[in-house]
Amino acid sequence: MAQRLKWRISCMRPFPMSVRPAQQPASSTQGIARALTQLARIVVGKEEPIRLAIACMLARGHLLIEDIPGVGKSTLAQALAATLGLRYARVQFTSDLLPADVIGVSIYDERTQAFRFLPGPIFHSVVLADEINRAPPKTQSALLEAMEERQVSVDGQTRKLAEPFFVIATQNPVEQIGAYPLPESQLDRFLMAIELGYPDASAERELLAGGDRRQHIAELAPVADAATLAEWQREAAAIHVAPALLDYVQALLAASRGFAGAGSTSGSDAGARRGLSPRAGLMLIAAARAFALIAGRPMVVPEDVQAVFPAVAGHRLAGGARSGALQAESLLRSVPLP
Amino acid sequence: MIGRRKQPLAAAARTRASASAVLSATQLRWLGAMLIAAQLPQAPHLPLWIAAFGLMLVGVRLWLARSDARRPGAAPARIPSWALVVFALVTAWFVRLSYGGHLAGREPSVAFLFILVGIKFLESRTRRDGTLLVCLASFLLITPFLTSQSPLAALAALPAILGLGGALDALDRTSGAAPPWRTTLARIGVMLLQGVPLAALLFFLFPRLAAPLWGLPQDYAAQSGLSDTMSPGMISELSLSDAVAFRVDFDGTPPPPALRYWRGPVLARFDGRTWSGLPQRGEGTLASPGGPAVRYTVSLEPSMKPWLFALESPSRMPQLADDDGPGDGARSDFAILTPDRQLIARRPVTQVLRYTETSVLGDRAAPASALDVRLASAPARGNPRTLALARELRAAHPQDRDYIAAVLTMFREQAFVYTLTPPLLPADPVDMFLFDEKRGFCEHFASAFTVLLRDAGIPARVVTGYQGGEINPRGGYMIVRQSDAHAWSEALVDGVWQRFDPTAAVAPSRIERGIAGALPDGEPVPRFARLGGGLLKNMQLALDALNHAWRRDVVGFDNARQRELWRAFDLTARTAPWAIGAAVLALGAWGAALIALMAWRRRHAERAIVLWRRACARLAAAGLPRQAWEGPLDFAARASARWPQFAIAFAAIAESYAALRYADTSARPAEREALVATLARAVDVLPPAASLRTLGGAAR
Repeated sequence: MAQRLKWRISCMRPFPMSVRPAQQPASSTQGIARALTQLARIVVGKEEPIRLAIACMLARGHLLIEDIPGVGKSTLAQALAATLGLRYARVQFTSDLLPADVIGVSIYDERTQAFRFLPGPIFHSVVLADEINRAPPKTQSALLEAMEERQVSVDGQTRKLAEPFFVIATQNPVEQIGAYPLPESQLDRFLMAIELGYPDASAERELLAGGDRRQHIAELAPVADAATLAEWQREAAAIHVAPALLDYVQALLAASRGFAGAGSTSGSDAGARRGLSPRAGLMLIAAARAFALIAGRPMVVPEDVQAVFPAVAGHRLAGGARSGALQAESLLRSVPLP
Repeated sequence: MIGRRKQPLAAAARTRASASAVLSATQLRWLGAMLIAAQLPQAPHLPLWIAAFGLMLVGVRLWLARSDARRPGAAPARIPSWALVVFALVTAWFVRLSYGGHLAGREPSVAFLFILVGIKFLESRTRRDGTLLVCLASFLLITPFLTSQSPLAALAALPAILGLGGALDALDRTSGAAPPWRTTLARIGVMLLQGVPLAALLFFLFPRLAAPLWGLPQDYAAQSGLSDTMSPGMISELSLSDAVAFRVDFDGTPPPPALRYWRGPVLARFDGRTWSGLPQRGEGTLASPGGPAVRYTVSLEPSMKPWLFALESPSRMPQLADDDGPGDGARSDFAILTPDRQLIARRPVTQVLRYTETSVLGDRAAPASALDVRLASAPARGNPRTLALARELRAAHPQDRDYIAAVLTMFREQAFVYTLTPPLLPADPVDMFLFDEKRGFCEHFASAFTVLLRDAGIPARVVTGYQGGEINPRGGYMIVRQSDAHAWSEALVDGVWQRFDPTAAVAPSRIERGIAGALPDGEPVPRFARLGGGLLKNMQLALDALNHAWRRDVVGFDNARQRELWRAFDLTARTAPWAIGAAVLALGAWGAALIALMAWRRRHAERAIVLWRRACARLAAAGLPRQAWEGPLDFAARASARWPQFAIAFAAIAESYAALRYADTSARPAEREALVATLARAVDVLPPAASLRTLGGAAR
């Protein structure tokens, strides 16, 4: 049987060029694949979050990581920046952090007798906003506004942020005392919210044996630069989305809106009462496109949507990444493929 | 199992949202366009204020919608429903007022409907309202046909039909951007064209009612036409009208102009000024067959009078055209022949009446009855000078024929003038005409001639009707206009009624060439009665030909004609059940064929889905059902884990299916075909479910 099968398959005509991914290894796909393997060596055992983080970047979105300290959030951010050849800055958000600490200040220069602008960390390409829920809302909103507009206004002057510009914000879901949790509207600014989670046993062993991560990061050779990344982003945005896939996305959105009534099992969850907005739908498609690009596919398939759906929809359906992702998973299971 | 319905959620959401969904700006615009298109053909038939008001209401709503669109944040402009109810009641009162206190008649009802659609449009918010408006507009669309069923009226309804289609299309479109209106119109146009064959089929086959659903025009305004009296100036006035009196289709060649005397009301009573007819009962005598007979079909325009016109003299009773009665010609179920040989319909002619008639051409007719002669012999009153002249002439010519010849010679030799603008004749008009003015139109001549005969003791009477008629070269039929109205005389000579036309003595060209040929230049002859071509006249003739064909073949296709057509297919009461059974069978077969074709096309178009489902079904039977939400690639991966030996086939199936379903292959049909072929072969490669099951067991 197997012999016959092999013969028959060999008789098949080859796949047409444009839809068969393996026969068209686009430079973007190869580059992304190299970046992924490099990242996987630094952040061990976290292929899925890495993939999502890259997809988030390709879709020109910002990433929110909810997790306890010490699971590799900063490492991921740093490694991303280094691999893609981007400038990186980290801001530790505290309760006394001021907007100027993020954006930058103008100081008086006595020699030139004029104000000189000292750009803040936000002018880097990859900004790690650590413990974003520790900072007062004013500072939070300064950052979030910059994320949305991709520019800041200081002293009446508008300054463009770096291109690409990518914010990885983290927050600790456990210690919420004395914190300023992000309101839903601000959460909406993040394309994805993910968890890193503990590494599994083998990954942890490798981590423990591997030595200093920082050292590894310093030794990384970038596989891309800002221009290449911009090119990839353009490619991702051009990935084909078929009507059948739009049907599926619409069905998901509709189900999320009907979800509130059906999912009254978690009655205390105020967030569950909100369905996904049309903007969430747009973001879902953008993220799915990026995910398809990573897979080297010229079109988005339902699997792409399903892969990014918990990360994209989770924090919009419920306040947090964890409970939201669970909701999103069950939502996915409830919507048949058209 | 999988994907039973194509878009379960989207479809469900659509139906839920459909009825109460708020009308979008596009939908409102389409509805507005539809209403205006439906109102415009009716507008000319309405009082000005109603037409303007109804159109204005629709305009106001469109304007409100536009201003709503300008301030998207603000609440939409609204007129409370109770205000509109009050408004509707007030409008009803006004409509009642302007129709002289009636609201129930046809015209006030139409007027009220005209305004009501505007009011309904003002308060329309939801799709349900939109659907109701479409129904109202469909009804409004029919109303102009109550007044006129001309091709122009049908043409005027076309924009509204397109509007209806557009509005329905817009109402159905609940999501997504509306296509440009041109695209929609083109689509509706194509759909309407597709509907034409079905409409034509129904036109021929759908059973007609023998009588119209509601009596068509009963309340016509006064129409121009011959009346049952004749006083000086009446026919000359009528001659100024271009209006068509009737049209005639001849079987064979039309008679020469000199024989085209269309007999109408016969007037035998004279009070010194006015000739009038006499109420007559009883059967007249048909002309005996023999001599040159001509058969023709008259399409009589509605005149509100019972007169039927026939060439002198009818030898058969008229039959309704397309009637399937025995038609022996001796009787007619809608007309009678009076003793003075007038054809009179039993009811006034209120809509176009088509009847077939046969006449024996000639100026002599059947002998008269005694009553007939007595009525025509009553001495004329007044006009003493005429009486004196008659006595003088009679003394010179004791023989009737000689006397009549002398009178005609007098008309011919004295300076009588035939004119459309005769002078006013206040008293003793015959005297004044004969001795003072000597200018007159046919009625003056006929009247004077008849009076002269009566005064000499010869029974005579005036016959009115039409003389002449124009052959329309574009349809081969004859048009007889009001301007062809004529009056002549009839005298009893040697016991037989004989036609005398004194006008012919004065102006022979009137008879030979029509009114325009007889009148000097400068007389106010109606434009279309003028001789000669001219672009305008040619166009008018072409239009008239179209109108006539429309009347005859479209509007005139009634119950009787339909039966005739059916009979042509040998469809009688005996064979009808068989025919109906066959028709139902044919229709069923046609429907089944259509459904099969659609199914085939669907399969063909989405062969990928069919193949994919087949593969899924096989795997499900083998114990690995696809989850409803599972994507093709994931499922293939799962299947490959279970049956690794078929991993290549699974990958080929999933990837080609995914490419067909989700990739952009619209521009490359050849590639699509290649993918379908790959998919088909890969599905073919999979062993049947039973052997898969055993294989799966072995693999595990």
